[in-house]
Amino acid sequence: MVEQKINPVATLSDVKRINPLIPMKAKVTRIIDETADVKTFCIAKEEAGRFTAPFRTAPGQLAMLSLPGVGEAMFSATDAPEHLQLSIKKVGVLTDALHEICPGQTVGVRGPYGNGFPMDEYKGKNILFIGGGIGLAPVRSVVRYCVDHRDDFGQLHLIYGSRSPADLVFKYDLFDTWPAVRDFKVSVTVDRGDDQWKGNVGFVPAFIEQLRPDPENTVCILCGPPIMIKFTLGILDKLGFTPENVITTLEMRMKCGIGKCGRCNIGSCFVCLDGPVFSLAQLKTMPNEY
Amino acid sequence: MQRLKAFPKAKLTAVLEMMIQKATVWVPSMIAGVSRFAPYRPGTDIQMGTNTAISPKEALFPSTEKIYKFSAYGIDGDFEPVDPSVGPQILFGLRSCDMQGILCLDDVFLTRGYVDDFYGSKREATTLITLGCVTPGADCFCASMGVNPAEHDASDAQMYDLGDAYGIIARSVKGEALVKDLMAAGLLSDTDKSQGPTADFVLKVDSEGITEKLQQMFDHPLWDELSRKCLNCGTCAYLCPTCHCFDIAEKKRNQHCGVKIKCWDTCMFSEYALMAGGHNPRPSKKERVRQRFMHKLRYFPERYGKLQCTGCGRCIAKCPVNLEITDVIKLAGEAKSDG
Repeated sequence: MVEQKINPVATLSDVKRINPLIPMKAKVTRIIDETADVKTFCIAKEEAGRFTAPFRTAPGQLAMLSLPGVGEAMFSATDAPEHLQLSIKKVGVLTDALHEICPGQTVGVRGPYGNGFPMDEYKGKNILFIGGGIGLAPVRSVVRYCVDHRDDFGQLHLIYGSRSPADLVFKYDLFDTWPAVRDFKVSVTVDRGDDQWKGNVGFVPAFIEQLRPDPENTVCILCGPPIMIKFTLGILDKLGFTPENVITTLEMRMKCGIGKCGRCNIGSCFVCLDGPVFSLAQLKTMPNEY
Repeated sequence: MQRLKAFPKAKLTAVLEMMIQKATVWVPSMIAGVSRFAPYRPGTDIQMGTNTAISPKEALFPSTEKIYKFSAYGIDGDFEPVDPSVGPQILFGLRSCDMQGILCLDDVFLTRGYVDDFYGSKREATTLITLGCVTPGADCFCASMGVNPAEHDASDAQMYDLGDAYGIIARSVKGEALVKDLMAAGLLSDTDKSQGPTADFVLKVDSEGITEKLQQMFDHPLWDELSRKCLNCGTCAYLCPTCHCFDIAEKKRNQHCGVKIKCWDTCMFSEYALMAGGHNPRPSKKERVRQRFMHKLRYFPERYGKLQCTGCGRCIAKCPVNLEITDVIKLAGEAKSDG
């Protein structure tokens, strides 16, 4: 049998509710317009007049967000004590409806689901983050963890790209918060610039080749559109990054989030339970069907 | 050794009448021309002779099931759980293949960190009574999938076909309670008879090593060939005793409220894995047919250590284009690996 090298019950300790399919009631407390088609939703539960996160998530874990009467879908979650942050691109029926709601809206939320990034394994290492488009959302959950635990990690370097300057998400983090963090290099590129853009213009893979990040004692965390991932993997290989040190997240359609409904399988793995975080070494043992 | 207890086939109705005093009893029956397991009522057209056309999984995993109610009034809304539990129930006259199917469903719904309460609560409330098969149907091939048609040791009680009577032995605490009730009602007597040998299977296939073989066949041209005639109708999955995939969908009662339902779904449907934004990891029939057979014969064994086909033969009996899993096993077994 093919060795899977996957920990299928990483989420066991996170099961806090009796029935994992029933959402808990929560409210949207704040909505941040990131770009024309991306908004960040802050979601909290109200208890005795105080708002707190409905549940805490580890970097890379997922949350199922439900808009009653419309539907539910799985999103990458970013943790905070006071709320859960979900950055959502407008791409379909549910996300279109979500982009119409206002703060105060009641939503349902369940989770956390998935394995998350094994942050303990990265202790003492340099971390190279590579993100493309909305792929910065899962990367950001890890970046925030690393910033909060700055002394646990070596050098941090983020390489991020989007289609145009207007499509850059989390600009407040990219240009204000993160560059101020000790030993944190932030490199941003856009596919097409505009009159005001003074930064790099070009695709992410070419930008990486130009920056030549050092693979020595470095873990690379990579999330973005499939085409970017495909070309970036080639470059990382050339630079000397081993498959064990290249980590990514996968997306599949999901319904249950607990490995029962069958929908998100890739071979014998369920992305909702055994993923969404996989190393390139793990992906190489799985059927190429994602 | 204790002698086998038995009741005459002519007393079947009396046995069922006694059982329904304490539980809902699902029996193989003919309903509107289709044989399936259904709760016994006086007058039910019981079909003990051959296995049912529709699998008994619906007693534990209904085709459609409410999981919670929701309401939405502007920015306000609410979620109200639905009690998943059922009263005590008995699955009566289950064949070995379907008992094995329930073990597959147990693996999915009750293990790996999470329990699906909707399945779990029904499973807990259910007593399983298996019945030995002595005359396999034309589409049956359970013996080829490692299932013993004569008996299954995972049930709560086993019945044996003794010709004019049914022998019964208890295998669990639940089964013992049931046999005790039958004894107390004076319905059982000792017998020296035993179940005869199971007749030869018409349909046989060599499934030895199929999992390992399929691990080398993801990109094999066999899938193009096999999928050509498939209609992606999903009949196979809906009849299958082990297919567990489900959808979670909304059913609106009116503008403001509705119910969320868990309902059967299948990897045969084109929208099954389709993501918002349009990407579909299984865009054509080839990927979907490959997924179905790979799941049954390779992915499930890799994950849970057992084949996900129990040889019940329902998909073979009802497939409109005769895309038969036994042929898939045979062709994959004969094919050269790596395509």
